[in-house]
Formats: sequence, structure tokens, C-alpha cells
Amino acid sequence: MIDFELTPQQAQVKEMVHQFAKHVVRPISLQADKDHRIPDDFMLRLSNMRAMMQAGEVPAEYGGEGGGAGEAKDKKGKSQKNRFSLIGGEEMAWGDISVLLSLPGPGLGGPPVQFTGTPEQKQRFFGVFKQPGLHWGAYGLTEPGAGSDVAGIRTACKKDGKHWVINGRKCFITNGGRADWVVVFATVDATKGRAGHRAFVVERGTPGFSCGKIEDKMGICASETAELVLEDCRVPEENLLGGEAHYERGKEGFMAAMKTFDSSRPMVGALGIGIARAAWDYTRDFVKENYVLARPIPRYAQLADTLAKGKRLLDAARLMCWRAAWMADEGVPNAKEASMAKAYAARAAMQVCRDCVQIMGAHGLEQHQFVEKWYRDIKVFDIFEGTGQIQRIVISKRILREAPSF
Amino acid sequence: MISFGLEEDQQIIQETVRKFAAEELRPKMRAFEKSGVPDGLRKKFDETGLGLDDVALATAVLVHEELAYGDPGAAVALSAPYDGNRALVALADDAQRARFAGKTTAIAWSERKAPLDGFSTIAKRVDGGWALTGRKAFVVGGAAAELQLVFAQLEGAQGWDGIGAFVVERGNAGLRAGDKHALLGLEAVAAYELVLESCKVADSHRLLGGAELGKRLEEMFARSWVINAARQVGLARASYEFALEYTQERKAFGKPVAHFQSIAFTLADMAMDVDAARWMVWRAATQLDKGNLAPAVAAAAHANEAAWRVADNGVQLLGGAGYVKDYPVEKWLRDTKALALFAPPSEIAELVAAGFELGHHVSGEGHSLPSTAMQPFFT
Repeated sequence: MIDFELTPQQAQVKEMVHQFAKHVVRPISLQADKDHRIPDDFMLRLSNMRAMMQAGEVPAEYGGEGGGAGEAKDKKGKSQKNRFSLIGGEEMAWGDISVLLSLPGPGLGGPPVQFTGTPEQKQRFFGVFKQPGLHWGAYGLTEPGAGSDVAGIRTACKKDGKHWVINGRKCFITNGGRADWVVVFATVDATKGRAGHRAFVVERGTPGFSCGKIEDKMGICASETAELVLEDCRVPEENLLGGEAHYERGKEGFMAAMKTFDSSRPMVGALGIGIARAAWDYTRDFVKENYVLARPIPRYAQLADTLAKGKRLLDAARLMCWRAAWMADEGVPNAKEASMAKAYAARAAMQVCRDCVQIMGAHGLEQHQFVEKWYRDIKVFDIFEGTGQIQRIVISKRILREAPSF
Repeated sequence: MISFGLEEDQQIIQETVRKFAAEELRPKMRAFEKSGVPDGLRKKFDETGLGLDDVALATAVLVHEELAYGDPGAAVALSAPYDGNRALVALADDAQRARFAGKTTAIAWSERKAPLDGFSTIAKRVDGGWALTGRKAFVVGGAAAELQLVFAQLEGAQGWDGIGAFVVERGNAGLRAGDKHALLGLEAVAAYELVLESCKVADSHRLLGGAELGKRLEEMFARSWVINAARQVGLARASYEFALEYTQERKAFGKPVAHFQSIAFTLADMAMDVDAARWMVWRAATQLDKGNLAPAVAAAAHANEAAWRVADNGVQLLGGAGYVKDYPVEKWLRDTKALALFAPPSEIAELVAAGFELGHHVSGEGHSLPSTAMQPFFT
């Protein structure tokens, strides 16, 4: 059936995360942005939010927050995990995106371990998060010479006895410097393209594995973006995700990399919507307080017009993301729809953030007014998890009868 | 629960209309454009039962998307008698319903020179009834309909609270057919001016009035905006799919033009626009089924913009071929603009939507704009 109402449980999660985002997260947002870091004690409080935010990310059988909202089933026994994640994610991003990206937990490294890992690997790598303290997982795909062109990665791996030796560099890795482990994608033979890909879980402290520079960025400043260096890095063979047999079928390594995106792209879209909605709410309040009585009507009407348009743009974008998430929950292939959701939401969110700065005029440029931060933060949403251009390549390859060689 | 899945009966209805549109509408769209929708087709449409008097809006939007995918002009023309009847039934009391049921009804709402808050057509109290004087425009079906549902300003009463709804029967001496409108698009829709000169109607022919009339009109318009937005989705999908096929056949520089990024990316943008507009329509429909009118405005404004963008791209991607009438895309670009006028003009829709958001009605030049002011030009 066609329905866009939240279940009572979803509405409850939304409200709880929203209150947390409003009263706990937002107050530290500007300072964290200035300091380029989120305080550790704040991070510890955040781990308590994990159950709600990333419910189902660590499956119950491997010590996750089992029975949480994310594992709730609908009447047909289908999971609602992706829809829950989007609802919670949007609210948290409304509070602060860097805080959300820094949430302790497996992060983007979760899906490949969950989808590709052996039971032993899931036990071992998800087990990390049961231990006290702060723990992160990360996802290492992008390289200095290959980001969007995933098939073109050059990081090399070679079997040597009971180890794999990995050489290469990874960049723009969220939480990469502090992660307990990173899912690293490498190739046994670059000429083999996708069939040559292998996915490893590289643990912190592995000989030859180190963190390079931490990036200084335009936005999402409090989120750690790291460069990772692998120099004759010796990874035990038990850390080849899925075991060697898994790769005999050909493109499994590449598929493991891509599978993450079916869930993460709609999620990234929802996060962008959360930021833009924050900007929209803030600007709406600003307009109400400052412009309604003080400005001549014609100018005010144009601002109101822009606000109304922005709101429905975000509504449309949210529905695009929900639809891709719904497909993921239903177990229906959604690569095209996930890309559509992400591309559409990124563009909508950028437009709204830009409009909000414009509507607030000079106040929109002031750092204490938040919108300039959101304006900087939102740009990355058309870049990470595949640029808008890459999404359009994914989409066009799936709507055309023959895949074009652009 | 968030779900985009259709029920089985909805899928069956959707497939039925899709087939009807593919067989009966698309191949004949140019003929409809010249001479309107033939009676035979109307009969066939009536027999399918797709006029849908008693179906949830969430299902009706599926029907109207498919009809418009076949041909937007025919979609509007075929639905118009049903719209007229639905309006009459919504505003009539039991006795009036019994008396007028089953007769073809045209809605005479719009005027060329209406003031911002009400009508220039005046209903004057006379012995035993009312005398209507004024000119109506964009009346779909025109004077040929058995009944005219005429909206007029009650003499001496100001603004939207002072309007009345009247039934004028064909043959009334005070009723005269005006010119047929020559339209930019949707030529299959026969829209006329209607002239009322001291047109006498009995008290028994006055429908619901007062605040209740405004409320029913709001619901009626909201429903028609959502249905019209569904048509825009169907039109956009038609243009997108046509361009998708064409650009894969047409070769330049040794390969299909769709294999150039600028074309492929445009197709991707069109696909996104079609989907996003559809979900806005679905949301508005499910919300309106629950009595919430607000998302209808957003869906109408959004679908109008999206469909225009897609239809424009449709013409653009076909290049010169898109501009000539050998291909349908030029028609869709004209039709989408015409469809947009069935909904509130987006400038006014935005103002009203903003009014909801900012917690008060937005003022423009001293007038407040209640949602009944978001009148479509066509009805």
C-alpha cells in the first residue's frame, strides 16, 4: 500500500533523536566546527545514542543492540532497518552533521563486513564494539588517483604465505585515523579491473599500516578525514573479507564495495536533507522574527516564496530517499534508485542552504548564525559517496539499453 | 509505515488504464488535437468504469497518470464530465441531487476580469430566485452541457464569503454560448466563454452557500490539483520515455546520442524529476484521503515545475525533430503549460504555502488570500 506515515515506533525514534539533536548536539556544533574536533567525553555520551541511530548496524547475533528499532519487522516480516536509519539520520544531521559522522560504531565499514564477512569475521570485527571505550570502523576505498572510478583502484595486494601484503594509499577516509579497523579495498592485478578486487579488514597496529595527514576541509570540519598509508602492510589471511573462496566467482570484491552504497546513498541523501532542513527552520524563524514587520511587503513576499519552494523541494527529496530505502528493506535491487535519491537530495539540499544564506542577507554570513556553517557543510553531499556526476553515470547506465562508454 | 508498494487491485487498475491509454489514446493524439475526443471514445471510457466516482484519491492518481501518459488532452476531456458531476454532487442537497443526477455538467468558475477576492458575475435577488449577469471563461464543455454550475457574487456581498453556486439548465433564455478558446495546448479540451444576461434561476437551483460552500470548494480544488499533478507526472513520463528511446536510436559522431554524457545526464535528471513528482503526488493523495489539504498545494506546484522541465528537455533532446509535429514532444511541452493552469498559479500557491509555514496568511497589496483564492483558470 501507498503510505508515508511513520509507525508509532518510528515517530518515537524520530522525536527522541530530534530532542537529543536539539538539546545536546546543536549546542556544541559551532565550537566543534571551530576546533575541528568533537570532545571525547561528548563522544562517550554519543555511544549511548548508537542503539537508536545505528540500530541493526551491528547485528544482534554479533553483540549489537539486538531487538532495537532497526530490527523491527513489518507485517510481512520484512525489516525496516533502512527506513529507521533514514528517519534517525535526518534528525541527527539536523543537530550536527560532523557529530553524526563521528558516531562511534562500524560506520560505512559495517555493511561490507555484514554482507561479505564470514561468521568468524563478523564475530571478531563487530565484537570490538562490545568493549568499553570509543570504537570506530571505517571504509577505505578512495585513493589519490581513484575515487569515483572505483574500478580503477591501484592499491596492490599480494599473497605471501599466510599473509597478504598490501601497498598503496587511501584518502578521504572518514574516522580513518581513529578506527579500530578499516575495510580496505585492493587489487591483485590492476589489469583485471573489478575481478581483481579484494576487500580486507586492516586493524590498527598492523605492521606497515599508518595514518598520514588529517585533511583540513571547507566544511564538516569536526569530522575526521584521514589519509591512510599501507607500506608492505602484512595482513593475516583471516582478514580477507569472506575468505578466498568468496572471490572465485569474479567480481565479488567490487560487489562488496558497491553493496554498501545501496544502503548508504539514500542515507547520505537523508543526512543532506537534515542539514538543509536545519537551515530552513533557522531561516524561517529568522524571517518571522526580523522581517515580517520590518520589511516592505513585496520583498518579504519573495522571501516567503523562496521558503515555500525550498520546503517542498526537501519534501520531494525525502520521498526519493525513503523510496530507495524502502526498496533496500524489501530486498529489491535499488542501485539506480539509491543514486537517484542521493543525486536529487544533494542538489535540493544545496539549493536550500544557498537560499537560506541569501534570505538572511549579511546575517547569513555570520559564523554565529549557523547557516554559513551549513552552507559549507552541505557542499560535500554532492561529492562524497559518489559525486553528482557519478550518480548520473550510474543512473544513465541503468536506464539505457546498452551501457555507454563515456 | 513508509511504503511505496501498490495493492493488487491498484496494480490491476493501473494495468487496465495503461492498456487503454496505449491502444486508444496515444495513437490518436493528433486527431484529438484537431477535432476533440469523439463520442465513441467517451463511450468506451465510460464502459471501462475508470471515471472513478468512489475510489480513494491514492488510486485515482494512478489512473490519471496513465491517462495523461496516453494523451494529456484526452485525459482532461474524458474526465471533465465526471469532474462536473462530482462538483454538483458535492454542493447539492438531496432533492437537488435527485433532480440533477446523471446530467452532463460544466463548471463555470473562471472569469477574465475577476477581482482578486470573488467574481464579477453578479447574482441579483429577484422574485422567486436569482438573476445572473456576467461572463465566464474557460468553461470546459461549454454551453453544450445539460447543466452549468455557475459561481457568482451575491449582490451586495463582498469577498469569498459572499459567493453563491447556481445550476443553470441548458436552454435558459439568459444563457448564451461565447467564443471557443483557442488554446496553446490541450486542444482536445473544448473550453468556452459563457455569457449570462439576466439569466433567471429558481431558488431550488441555488446550491450550498456560506462557509460550508467554501469548505467544500477547498476540498474540491485540492482534489483536482492532486489529480492534475498526477497528469503532469504522466505527461513528464511520456516525454522522458520518448526522449530515452529516440536518443538511443539517433546516432551522431558514430554513436547513439544518448551515449554522450550531456544527453545521458539530462535523461537521468528527467528520470529523477518524474519520480520525485510522482511521490509528491502520492503523498498529497494519501494525505487528502485523510483530510489534510496542505500537501496538495505543494504537489501541484512541484509537479507543474518538474513536468515543464522534463517536457522542455524532451524537446531539447530531440533537437530539430522535437520542434516539428512529426513527433509528440512539442505537444507535451505545450500541454504541460496548459495543465499548469488547472492548478493555482504557482506564485499564489507559494504565497499561501508560505502563509501556512509562517503561521499567518500572507498579505499582498492589502488582500489576504484564503485558499479558495487559489482558483484554477480552468475547471
